[in-house]
Amino acid sequence: MDPLPRIPRDPSSLFFQADNVRRYIIGSYWLIIILALPLWWSTTSIERLSLPTSRVISQAQQRLSIPVTISLQAGVESASLAFQLKESINERIIKAPNRWKGLDIQVNHDRLLNKNTDNGVYTITEGTEEPTLQDRRLKHSLQAPALSKLVDLLSDLIVPFSEQDHRVAQFATHYRLSFTLLNEDAAAGAFVNHWPVSNAISRHVSPILTQLAVLHNFTIESQVQYHAPLAFKPQPIGDVYGITPEDLTVFVNSAEWTLSSSASNDPVLHFVLFVPSAARRPLRIMDNRGSLSASNAFLLPQWGGIIILNSVDQKEITPIELSPANMDSIFSTFADHLLTLLGVPKLPSGLKTLSFGEHNTFTEWQLDAVLRFRALENAKGAQDTLQSIVKLVDQIENMPVGQDVKGDVQEALNAIERMYTSSRTSLIETLRHSARALTLSSRAFFNPGMLALLYFPAEHTYAVYTPLFASAFIPLFVAALKEVKAWKKQRRQHNDTAPDVRRLE
Amino acid sequence: MLASWKARLFVGLSLSLSVVKASGEQFDEQLTIQSLRDGKVASTFSFKTLLKGVSPRDPRTLGAEDASQHYNVFPLALGQILREYAVTELHLSLNAGRWNYDRWGYPKEPAVGTGAELWAWMGDGGQVSVDHRWMGLRNALAGLFCASLGSLDEQRTTSPDRSFEPEGMLPDWGVPHRIRHATLPSENVCTENLTPFLKLLPCKSLSGIASLLNPHRLFDADWHGMGIHVLWREDEGVEVRLTFQSVSDPVRSSLGRKRDWSFRSLFDRTIDRQCPIAKTSEITVALPSEGSYSINPEPSVVNAGKASFDVATIDKPLDVALQWSGDFQYVSGFDKPITPFSVQRTLRGSSQAHGQLSVIVKNHQNSTQQVVYLETMPWLVQFYLHTLEIRVDGVRRDGIFSDIAYIPAVPHSRPATFQGILTLPPSSALHLTMDVTKSFLRYTEHRPDAQRGWDLPPAVLTVLELDSNTSTARHPVNPRIYTSTLLVDMATPDFSMPYNVIIFTCSLIAFIFGSVFNLLTRKFVVVRID
Repeated sequence: MDPLPRIPRDPSSLFFQADNVRRYIIGSYWLIIILALPLWWSTTSIERLSLPTSRVISQAQQRLSIPVTISLQAGVESASLAFQLKESINERIIKAPNRWKGLDIQVNHDRLLNKNTDNGVYTITEGTEEPTLQDRRLKHSLQAPALSKLVDLLSDLIVPFSEQDHRVAQFATHYRLSFTLLNEDAAAGAFVNHWPVSNAISRHVSPILTQLAVLHNFTIESQVQYHAPLAFKPQPIGDVYGITPEDLTVFVNSAEWTLSSSASNDPVLHFVLFVPSAARRPLRIMDNRGSLSASNAFLLPQWGGIIILNSVDQKEITPIELSPANMDSIFSTFADHLLTLLGVPKLPSGLKTLSFGEHNTFTEWQLDAVLRFRALENAKGAQDTLQSIVKLVDQIENMPVGQDVKGDVQEALNAIERMYTSSRTSLIETLRHSARALTLSSRAFFNPGMLALLYFPAEHTYAVYTPLFASAFIPLFVAALKEVKAWKKQRRQHNDTAPDVRRLE
Repeated sequence: MLASWKARLFVGLSLSLSVVKASGEQFDEQLTIQSLRDGKVASTFSFKTLLKGVSPRDPRTLGAEDASQHYNVFPLALGQILREYAVTELHLSLNAGRWNYDRWGYPKEPAVGTGAELWAWMGDGGQVSVDHRWMGLRNALAGLFCASLGSLDEQRTTSPDRSFEPEGMLPDWGVPHRIRHATLPSENVCTENLTPFLKLLPCKSLSGIASLLNPHRLFDADWHGMGIHVLWREDEGVEVRLTFQSVSDPVRSSLGRKRDWSFRSLFDRTIDRQCPIAKTSEITVALPSEGSYSINPEPSVVNAGKASFDVATIDKPLDVALQWSGDFQYVSGFDKPITPFSVQRTLRGSSQAHGQLSVIVKNHQNSTQQVVYLETMPWLVQFYLHTLEIRVDGVRRDGIFSDIAYIPAVPHSRPATFQGILTLPPSSALHLTMDVTKSFLRYTEHRPDAQRGWDLPPAVLTVLELDSNTSTARHPVNPRIYTSTLLVDMATPDFSMPYNVIIFTCSLIAFIFGSVFNLLTRKFVVVRID
């Protein structure tokens, strides 16, 4: 064993004990940390692509305006009449601006129509008898005293919705129509076990669906249930059973009636024919004052229609098949319900209609009104949804925004832009683009990817990082601090000694 | 002009008439009750809806709008699912308990494997792939029946076409049909599954035989299970059969050791009203072959040891009761197996990494039998196929196991399918052993009750060549025997561990980093001590 040298080597003469080397070592540690920061940042940050916020805001300020052209054909007086008509319509617009919102009414009187539009032009011609509708033509008296009546009629035809109708179902491109025959208690006898439903549908419902094909697609299905108990007990009034208005609100017993579907997410409109139990017939609807209502059908807003069928013979014990005549009266009510739920307005009273197509159930005027109403509704819905997305993403900083959300938002904006450009030329195209914008914007809004890290709080991250980083950073900091101090001291000493050297010279 | 219009009207009318005539619907309900040798009572409810003249949806039409569905009796909720995913044949069963084949014989409904089992035959072709539709199907059924069928995912799905042949027919579309099969042995059947099941019945549980389905008593039974079977036959149409089987124990509930039963004692209900939609509504009671007994009320028909009651004509409320004159005595040999062979499957070994699968098949017949042996094993347990060893009565034999098809498992994604044909020598016990390895699971793959272990699906044995006296006319398909499920103990971590690991690792890193850093940057000076 070698004895230790009596005087050890001076450690400062070792190369790694040189001040510069030590400073390089500390410096390189810090350099690596600083270089690694961007990597750490990019691997731990949430993907938040920037949304086209300014485009959303600028488009939200625009409003869709759909032109409605009325052509007045009354010979030589057309020009002055058209001016008067326009004036009175303008008065109406000032009185009820909300009702006429989004419409651009033009009244002209020349026969030369704008050729590059396939928007229908409503033509008004002189007619002496009662007002008559034919396609997009209206025959009406054009004498001065009848003018205010004409304006009334026109506003009822063009803007039939005085305010938002809450009965109308939310817009969807695809609906399921579900027709259900519900027997309250088939075992009690006198129940309906067969209804010629496909014939009735093709007679009463299909014509409506063909006419509305530009707006929606439909899937039709039907079923019969034999035990559909009510969730409440109808009150006996004499030999009649009554349903109070409060009971009507809980009439649909969704726990017992299997009406919902687990195969698709499309909105369903239900049409229920309810046959009360033989022990509880007739079942009648009561009004608020407690007297029996004449009607046996009612409509649940945005859900569907219900008809209570009492006409089944009470003494009958064998199952009953509904006759085509029965079905006709039931399905004409269902067709009425369907029109209301889909927002097809009723024609104003005192109007004669002439041959509006062989299979059509409503006029071009009504269809145009639905198209305009739906296009305006969709445009507003899409713009509101896009604004909400932008606001939400702005407010919640942990919310990820992926490429699919960004793409959907951009596509929705493009669809809105196309909707604006087509609004001058084609009503159907406008609706199509507005529906697409609505679908895309709500898909972006409900994108499940946006919730991914919402519930992973920052505290959790710190709890994992602190034990690792705190213990490593303290020596790094202290070493750096010491070194800086030492370096400063050295420099001061150097500065202090330098003048002395000069003085010595 | 008028004539042509008339002709068109006539054609239209006759067309619509023919549609009505062809598309009939028929509903039949049946209850079969049988006293078993050990005093238990097996009851089988069967509700059959036939949709005449209708064929399943061709998968190639999936992109297009489907035809309208109009049903009078057929459950629409199920019809929607079948059409949406173009399913030709579907079998779903949810069972609780182990069917004791040795004592009880073959069940009326063959699907008695513990837990949930779903298998479907679907045409391949068209835009949507079979696997995509299979995923949609199990999710839709999970929603319909409130069961965790959504977890029958790719990790549990196999295609064992030899053991699960279609019970009905497969339409000839010019495209092949594929089977998808999955089991979830840990799924239990309970009231929340029975409620949607009852809603699919035209009379729900309010009239007819279905009014006996009382969840309080059914789920108290020793064995219970429900099944939904959809199949298609060319000459009949689409058939939906909803079944419920239970094995109750009147000997246990009557402390007096009596095995008498009645509707009231079995279900705590009676049939008060007939289901007006049912074409036939029949209760069949298998009469005991020995002992003196009495049956109440008087059966409508007694034929070949079976008493039948026609619910439509008999007096109501109907409470069928079978009473013996004496107390119940176990007859000698009551546990002698009545099936032609019996199976016992166990997983041996206490290690958390390795084990041995052992299957004992006993042939009780005096003739050679061939059975298809199928294991659909999740990747949790993987086979060492080279260790497969077969002994017959203790003697090692080759050539017993043939036609082996093996699709190995892929960890974290695919289960193994292992099937082959076992030739059982007459009156012998066959012992099959194979070493297995237990996988090591990722931290997130453990379930909330990780310490309980994992349930492994039952193996399925299908008889290939039927003996004449065991063949049952009801099942055109060969009978299947499900073995009991297994519980495997996997290596489970201490779940409070991650944070401990983080802290421990951090301390270690900080220590090492600190020392290295110190060594590198420490300034050594010579200090002289005088």
